[in-house]
Amino acid sequence: MNKGFYVTAAELAASGFENIPDELVSSKHMIYSSPATLDFNSPGAKGFGVKRAGLVVPESVMLLVAPGCCGRNTALLNELGYNDKFFYLMLDDTDIVTGRYLKKIPKACAEIVEELDYTPSAIMICVTCVDALLGTDMERVCRSCAETSGVPCVPAYMYALTREKRLPPMGLARKSIYSLLEPQKRRSNECALMGFFSALEDGCEIYELLRRAGIKKIHEIGRCKTFEEYRQISRANFALVLNSEARAAAQDMEKRLGIPFIELTRLYRLGKIHNQYKLLGQAIGAEFDDSEFYDEAFDTVTAFKAKHGEVSFAVGECMNADSFELALALCEYGFRVAEIYGTIGERNFLFLRKLAEVSPETRVYSNLSPTMMGYERDCEINACIGTDAAYYHKDLPSVSWSGEEQPFGYRAVTLLFEQLDTALTEGKAVKI
Amino acid sequence: MSTLLKHISPLAPDDSGACSVLYEMGGIVVICDAGGCAGNVCGFDEPRWHCKRSALFSAGLRDMDAILGRDDRLVEKLVKVTGQVEADFTAIIGTPVPAVIATDYHALERMSERRSGLPCIALPTDGTRLYDYGEELAYTELFRRFAEEGIEPKKGKLGIIGATPLNTGLMFAEKLIAAGKAMGFDEVVCFGLDSGLDEVKRAAECERLLVISPSGVKAAEYLNKRFGTPFEAGYPCLPEAVCESADGLSGKKVLVINQQFAANTLREKLKGCEVDCATWFALDKRYAHENDFRIKDEGTLRERIEQGGYDVIFADRDLWRAMKYFGGELIDFPHYAVSATLA
Repeated sequence: MNKGFYVTAAELAASGFENIPDELVSSKHMIYSSPATLDFNSPGAKGFGVKRAGLVVPESVMLLVAPGCCGRNTALLNELGYNDKFFYLMLDDTDIVTGRYLKKIPKACAEIVEELDYTPSAIMICVTCVDALLGTDMERVCRSCAETSGVPCVPAYMYALTREKRLPPMGLARKSIYSLLEPQKRRSNECALMGFFSALEDGCEIYELLRRAGIKKIHEIGRCKTFEEYRQISRANFALVLNSEARAAAQDMEKRLGIPFIELTRLYRLGKIHNQYKLLGQAIGAEFDDSEFYDEAFDTVTAFKAKHGEVSFAVGECMNADSFELALALCEYGFRVAEIYGTIGERNFLFLRKLAEVSPETRVYSNLSPTMMGYERDCEINACIGTDAAYYHKDLPSVSWSGEEQPFGYRAVTLLFEQLDTALTEGKAVKI
Repeated sequence: MSTLLKHISPLAPDDSGACSVLYEMGGIVVICDAGGCAGNVCGFDEPRWHCKRSALFSAGLRDMDAILGRDDRLVEKLVKVTGQVEADFTAIIGTPVPAVIATDYHALERMSERRSGLPCIALPTDGTRLYDYGEELAYTELFRRFAEEGIEPKKGKLGIIGATPLNTGLMFAEKLIAAGKAMGFDEVVCFGLDSGLDEVKRAAECERLLVISPSGVKAAEYLNKRFGTPFEAGYPCLPEAVCESADGLSGKKVLVINQQFAANTLREKLKGCEVDCATWFALDKRYAHENDFRIKDEGTLRERIEQGGYDVIFADRDLWRAMKYFGGELIDFPHYAVSATLA
């Protein structure tokens, strides 16, 4: 029997954002670290948690200052070639009670620089819940570390305790990684893409559209191989923020470096993508002709529908999309969404309201609810999108849609439906 | 600097050890953290997470819960989950967050028991110690709270303490049960591995106990004192590849690095060798030889290796990075609490 707690989209929309059932609000129940979501909800696990994100700055290393338990799973990143980039200053209970470890951090930084056979571009000093509670002034600690080691030191706040704050750990991480940029003369034909730690998928139309608008150089931190390339980011005339978690970083860059920014959202509804590009064009004084990209995505969706019919999807949240926006897009394209495993916030509640109009019976679950231990499928689902959805329905065709190359714009729609076609045609999972 | 790890990653912490012992006991286990510690346990230190279901949750603490000491909210959430998941008891596992705010675990136990009606054990781990400390706390508390009186010893029944993946790299008990039977026992139970709370309750039934890690010694001593059950130390599950590598090393000076009882057992297999054992974890002097040592940090390890004049070192592959200076032969001796490598 399915014991996973769910509410339908219609019920949720009717009750309003203020009255979301406790079981869908993570702060109101114990958290189930479901195997479905594990790679995503543990900082330092797979994907980009604070630890890996901090090391996006080329040639940087990280010092984790924490009790041993906080750094335990960092070994997972060794498989990705990070084993020479992490150092650990282990805290014991006396350190925590007396705060004596704060004096050890600069010495540790100096020792790291001495140990390495190259000079790192920066030492990212990662601190955890302990320092969140002790209220450590990390800016001051980092200044001291920089003086002692001769290398810029930057805080990386892995504060799981503040996950739902206005500036959550991943927002702070983004702010930290751009904080080493220094003011320089901006170039009118250069821009920066912000928001992701890895680069956009190479075929994304945004590169071509910007190129046609006269942009010669597009900076992305995920493409920077050297610190020199990273430093060039501050030449950008403007920045495009593709993920709202980078807003604080962009605001900081605007204040410090004078680089204005425009926010875009990753969307899967073609009409909305078109509108967004239109507005972007107006903002930067260019007229985008995006018709060929629109048509390609539209044709891919149409062909998929003609081939596979009215597919019923399960949509997760461990993927490169907002669960509710993607579900809404699928329904508007004429498919069904039977279930969503997602987290409702103020922003995506707007998508949920619209979803409730087109698909009121869609069930909404929370991956983190303890009741998900008893989840069993009891409705018709033909395919899954997201690593978590694929976990729940191992027997169904699925697309994990959680690769590191970031999909965006029309290209995201095209690629997603191409992969869904492969998965459904071959009846298997596609892990990209 | 002794507390700076430059070559290896942190080893399994005490909260992981406590969870490992409780994992199959049929309780609701709550890691008193903000989410990251539970992620470390479930995603790294607990290989059974993907194949054996367990009601292991994170308390999902947030900064104001900690700052304001909102234990009542924690208990409220715990009580709620007891209504959703069947369990015989509840357990609360400490992490750095409750350590920083000096949480009163006894009070938490009492509040939880009163509200949920289920026995509660709260273990004051804090994430700064190593897994064996957490295992020791959990084993001792489990037997203290749940082992029942008035049960007669059953001839031919062996109880194994210390059988966690962190100690053995094993997720199932078959290999240990077979080893126990090969020792002449008819029935073998591995407390906490393919067995639950019922076996803990019937601990007095064991004719003998085999302790396979120092983390189980205190619990064995407790059972010995309470029920008179004799115990011995041993490690009947050395990986085959390691045993094969032990052949043909006669005349060599060897250092074995693992948890103490695994290392001791390998020493017995290294015939004709001069062998020292070392461990990053607890070293019980009663089971140690004169030159055995506890590794306090990377620097100590280097000093002892350079002074020791070893020809061969058996150690988990993840530790090799801290021994690049060693010119002799390195042989992999996996230890899950180091590299999370299964046997």
